[in-house]
Amino acid sequence: MATATATVPTGPTAPTFRRAGFGDVVSSEWMKLRTVRSTFWTLVALFAGSAAVSLLICLAAADQYAKDRAAGNPDSSPDIVMLGLLFIGQIAAYVLGVMTISAEYSTGAIRSTLSAMPRRVEILVAKAILLAVVVFVVGLAAAFACFYLGNIPLQAKHVGVKLSDPGVLRGVFGSALYVAGLSVFGLAMGFLLRHTAGAITIGLALIFIIGGLVQLIPGSIGRWLYKVMPGNAGAQVSQFGEMKRNADKNFAPWTGFTVFMLEVVVLLVIGAILFERRDA
Amino acid sequence: MIRAVGLTKRYGDRLAVDHADFTVESGTVTGFLGPNGAGKSTTMRMILGLDHPTAGTVTVSGRPYRQLPAPLREVGALLDAKAVHGGRSAYNHLACLATSNRIPLKRVDEVISLVGLDRVAKKRSKSFSLGMGQRLGIAAALLGDPGTLLFDEPVNGLDPEGILWVRNLMKSLAAQGRTVFVSSHLMSEMALTADRVIVIGRGEIKADTTMREFIAQNASTHVRVRSPHLGKLHELMTGTGWQVEAAPDDEDALRVYDVTSDAVGELAGQNGLWLHELAVVQPSLEEAFMSMTADSVEYHAGLGGMEPGASGGSGTDPGAATNTAVAQPGRPNGEAR
Ligand SMILES: Nc1ncnc2c1ncn2[C@@H]1O[C@H](COP(=O)(O)OP(=O)(O)O)[C@@H](O)[C@H]1O
Ligand SMILES: [Mg+2]
Repeated sequence: MATATATVPTGPTAPTFRRAGFGDVVSSEWMKLRTVRSTFWTLVALFAGSAAVSLLICLAAADQYAKDRAAGNPDSSPDIVMLGLLFIGQIAAYVLGVMTISAEYSTGAIRSTLSAMPRRVEILVAKAILLAVVVFVVGLAAAFACFYLGNIPLQAKHVGVKLSDPGVLRGVFGSALYVAGLSVFGLAMGFLLRHTAGAITIGLALIFIIGGLVQLIPGSIGRWLYKVMPGNAGAQVSQFGEMKRNADKNFAPWTGFTVFMLEVVVLLVIGAILFERRDA
Repeated sequence: MIRAVGLTKRYGDRLAVDHADFTVESGTVTGFLGPNGAGKSTTMRMILGLDHPTAGTVTVSGRPYRQLPAPLREVGALLDAKAVHGGRSAYNHLACLATSNRIPLKRVDEVISLVGLDRVAKKRSKSFSLGMGQRLGIAAALLGDPGTLLFDEPVNGLDPEGILWVRNLMKSLAAQGRTVFVSSHLMSEMALTADRVIVIGRGEIKADTTMREFIAQNASTHVRVRSPHLGKLHELMTGTGWQVEAAPDDEDALRVYDVTSDAVGELAGQNGLWLHELAVVQPSLEEAFMSMTADSVEYHAGLGGMEPGASGGSGTDPGAATNTAVAQPGRPNGEAR
């Protein structure tokens, strides 16, 4: 260690230290995530907002849904109970992901972070792991809340859905996986754009608007684009059962989720390369 | 020890730092001087691995900053006080930084007391005044009890009390044998603490030397003479072979170089000429600095106001330009800009 500079006294403290490892980076990032209010509030929104919206949607739709079921309408699916999570939950997870890094840029805190820990890729990986875990856990709680609350109006009409029905448990867990993936997607966008409003606007437009608009592109290109758009591909894993699945419109649940995760990883790798190369 | 070799940073077509070579010796206080826009902050960001050099290298204790095993334990830095997430409390901000370097949390309490933020430690830093923000930044720099400290314009924008506090802190850090590298665009700020000085102008290193040598080489002692018989005196003195010039700040005064005040007084006395003022003027740091960066275009652009007539301490008040000049600098200058 002290080769060329061996003769130079380095100051009052002993010059050898235990290397701060990846575990320390994770602990530090965990503390950072816990100690800003925005984390708490976005997670509250993710849980409570999703559950409340699911309940409201099911209250409003129960009657029609019951009629559709009775008529054997193939487009009706009990996964309307998850719609709260696929709306509010999606937004909250994505926003939390973006803010986890963009807030450091907008406040200038990134320079403190990187002066203390210059191994940038470790920071990015630590943030991604923590977000995925935290959002999965809260997302899973939210998914069950949506499932049980949304079921109340449906059961009242005798069209409730059971966890043991085909694809339902997968759909509930899948919803949590999807929002967890989405938060990491947001993180990657935050690293790429370093700007909160920009990353949120682009990401939400991609999921909610562009994801649907690409259907208008004629022919197989339009169909393919529709399938692979991150929101469309990733959300398949949250659908219940197979009844409304249309093979050339959407991916199968796990295929879609795998495609989505690949997209997230690619974005994250690009984000990591830029994070390494750019000035802080 | 910090060593830069051919350190260069280009932002687009702007050369912010141009092949800088310098060494910050261990155990010294080194002033990093340059007018605004000279490249001081850019250099400091490169030392900390925040900005990537376009060319060249800079190492801390022989290693690039990124390879330090626990950076906060070796280098503490205050770049700008705003490098903080305002929604986090001061305590939490420091705790997050400490954790990343495996620094025990009891050290967080220590540095909070050290900088006097105990009462607001649990408050969100958003509400902090500039001075409190600066203290928080300094607390972060001290977290790892590092042997090397970097301060970028630490007194900028502080009130006189804050300036005094920062200055005393730097002195005590230096007295503990730490290496302190501190930048300023105010020459006078350096006089108090710096042993060595590195001067930068338009990205180029203009000097890397001891403070004493720097002054000796860049400004010479002169004798200041004020007299109602200036024309006659001028004639006599040039006749004797002395180097004489008009004082830039007072049309009734002359500057005489390389003579003692005794000789000037005697010459005047022998010729029956009255003197209203006779003083040995020590070279001030400000003058040395100005002569060093005189060719820097950006300096003139940035500090046009320093020309005679403006606020400059030595400009309008002859008293300040005399022997006391070097000891003077603490005063309002520190806050002037
Ligand atoms: N991030 C940046 N992008 C573009 N130009 C920059 C950037 N940072 C600094 N500069 C330019 O580089 C030069 C040096 O700036 P700086 O290092 O901040 O000077 P100092 O700290 O000595 O006042 C200035 O001309 C400044 O405008
Ligand atoms: Mg600066």
